[in-house]
Amino acid sequence: MTNLELYKKSFCETFEIQEDALKGLVYQGIPSWDSVGHMNLVATLEEAFDIMMDTDDVIDLSSYEKGIEILKDHYDIGF
Amino acid sequence: MLKEKNVVVTGCLQGIGKETVKIFAENGANILACAYKQDDAFEEYCRLLTEDHKVRVEPIYFDMMDNTAIKAAARTIQRLKIEIHGLVNIAGINRDAYFNMITEQDMHDTFQVNFFSQMIFTQYIVKIMQRYKTAGSIVFTSSVTAFDGNAGQVCYGASKAALVGAMKSMALELGAAGIRVNVIAPGVIDTPMTRSLSDEIIDDRIKKMDIPHLGETEDVANMFMYLISDLSTHVTGQTIRVDGGMR
Repeated sequence: MTNLELYKKSFCETFEIQEDALKGLVYQGIPSWDSVGHMNLVATLEEAFDIMMDTDDVIDLSSYEKGIEILKDHYDIGF
Repeated sequence: MLKEKNVVVTGCLQGIGKETVKIFAENGANILACAYKQDDAFEEYCRLLTEDHKVRVEPIYFDMMDNTAIKAAARTIQRLKIEIHGLVNIAGINRDAYFNMITEQDMHDTFQVNFFSQMIFTQYIVKIMQRYKTAGSIVFTSSVTAFDGNAGQVCYGASKAALVGAMKSMALELGAAGIRVNVIAPGVIDTPMTRSLSDEIIDDRIKKMDIPHLGETEDVANMFMYLISDLSTHVTGQTIRVDGGMR
């Protein structure tokens, strides 16, 4: 599984959504991405990519696209 | 009482923390015992508890003044890939000084160890609890000084009061995730920190207690055990004084 596939899977499983809903998805854009869902997403991403995110990055993770940027720039995850 | 629970305890090198590790091990918990520096005697203490009680007592070292070290310790715990059922924050410092004699550095250091670092470390541990959807329990160690005041402990008391304020809101936020958050406020407990006080000060405090003698570290450790155990599954957002009825 590629990192992008893993990333998409983390979102889809956490928020119980389909892949076609990911593009443009933002924090609080769907009911399941609330504050509790956000922490579940962080925990899932940390597990999937074997990282521990800084709190600043947890706060910055405001959209599907932003998450890719954070993982690339701060955790050396290649997409 | 704590069989098969994995618990992180900070401030384990001496006093209340060291006793808590012992009592938790005796009651079947696996413990990640955090201390600020490597210590051979402490390693041996953990090894003996592991052997005697057939549990895992693993030392982890980091300085609460160092955010990078705090993150590294949390990363070590995360990489174990185990559920964390409890976190007992005991690590703390006390630099007594009368109000007009407190340096800015002492204010910063006291809040760094007694409040900011505990929040940061707890953030990391909560993420691990949430990853495994664990019904976790977090306990902070405040002090009766936070409520009653004590001459010479302006900063210490303020930092311990900050924990109480944080705990109330954390309990609200984390309750839905099944994570309980409580505070213990010890009174005058027979620890190395207390023994550094003059006899006069200690006697004065004992006179204010319904049970007029120093508390033992075991008294506090037993309350930690209750709050981490399943006996307290409906207890959250509370501050419990362990102070011999101090008035």
